[in-house]
Amino acid sequence: MSYIDAGYAIAFGVLAAYAALLWRRRQRLERSASRPQGHSAP
Amino acid sequence: MSSSGESAVAPWSPVATWVVRGLGIAAAVALAATVWLGLWVTPPDQVQHNLVRLVYVHPPIAWVALYLAFGVAAVSSALWLWPRTRSRFWDRLAASAVEVGTVFTALTLVTGSIWGRPTWGLWWTWDARLTSTALLLVLLLGYLAVRRVPADPDSRARRCAVVALVAAVDVPIVHFSVDWWHTLHQGATVLNANLSPTIHGSMAWTLLLGFVAFTLLFAWMLAIRYRVEVLSEHVQDTELDVALHERWAEGTDPVPAEPGGALV
Repeated sequence: MSYIDAGYAIAFGVLAAYAALLWRRRQRLERSASRPQGHSAP
Repeated sequence: MSSSGESAVAPWSPVATWVVRGLGIAAAVALAATVWLGLWVTPPDQVQHNLVRLVYVHPPIAWVALYLAFGVAAVSSALWLWPRTRSRFWDRLAASAVEVGTVFTALTLVTGSIWGRPTWGLWWTWDARLTSTALLLVLLLGYLAVRRVPADPDSRARRCAVVALVAAVDVPIVHFSVDWWHTLHQGATVLNANLSPTIHGSMAWTLLLGFVAFTLLFAWMLAIRYRVEVLSEHVQDTELDVALHERWAEGTDPVPAEPGGALV
């Protein structure tokens, strides 16, 4: 793997992973926030 | 804190949903075009040869880290500290910009290091630009650490705003480091003193597209991260409300009678 390939792979890989993480956090919190109060999971 | 009758945080409006979705799609398309032009269309450079292709990624990432993310964080923090404009919105926006900016700052150092190894023969050197950028990453991590210290929302926001403004002093040092100290890192290609880019033709257009693409990506990430901040505050408040009500209910339960005796 060349330095160029490594640079592009790391940059876009890390950004894609962070974007996916943000998206999953948002989805999970949207579900928690829409749950009626007092019925939260134990 | 949410009242016991409140059940959910308001969802995004249809307009906000479409704006965020549009930003995400535009960022994906622009990033794909940058990769295509950067890797397959633009010619090699006379001096750097194919290594110039890393220039379509590294400066745009640094642009987001140093100027956009830190700019948003510093201005939002100042607006939170200013009593007339104080609002939770600015605190949440600053925290969101710092987290996204931390990822971009780390990538600035990594992509710069990958470019530096074949160009300078070094993964790392204590050059003024590199050192001041590494210091910025440490300051951003410090902000995130201060954010996790338990405190009431206003105290936490005040501490974080002060940390962000102290850290903001490092940004002009990073920017002008290549002019103040003539160490290894070359001068600015686009944002130089004369504002006359030293890159031309398809290479310049690809670099410009890279700046636009990463700016769109930053805007999309900032919007999502801001939403995460709002939702997590709401969930924490709700959980605290539930816990307080449970404790209150425990305290008002009738005390059971002892066997064969009177109520104590």
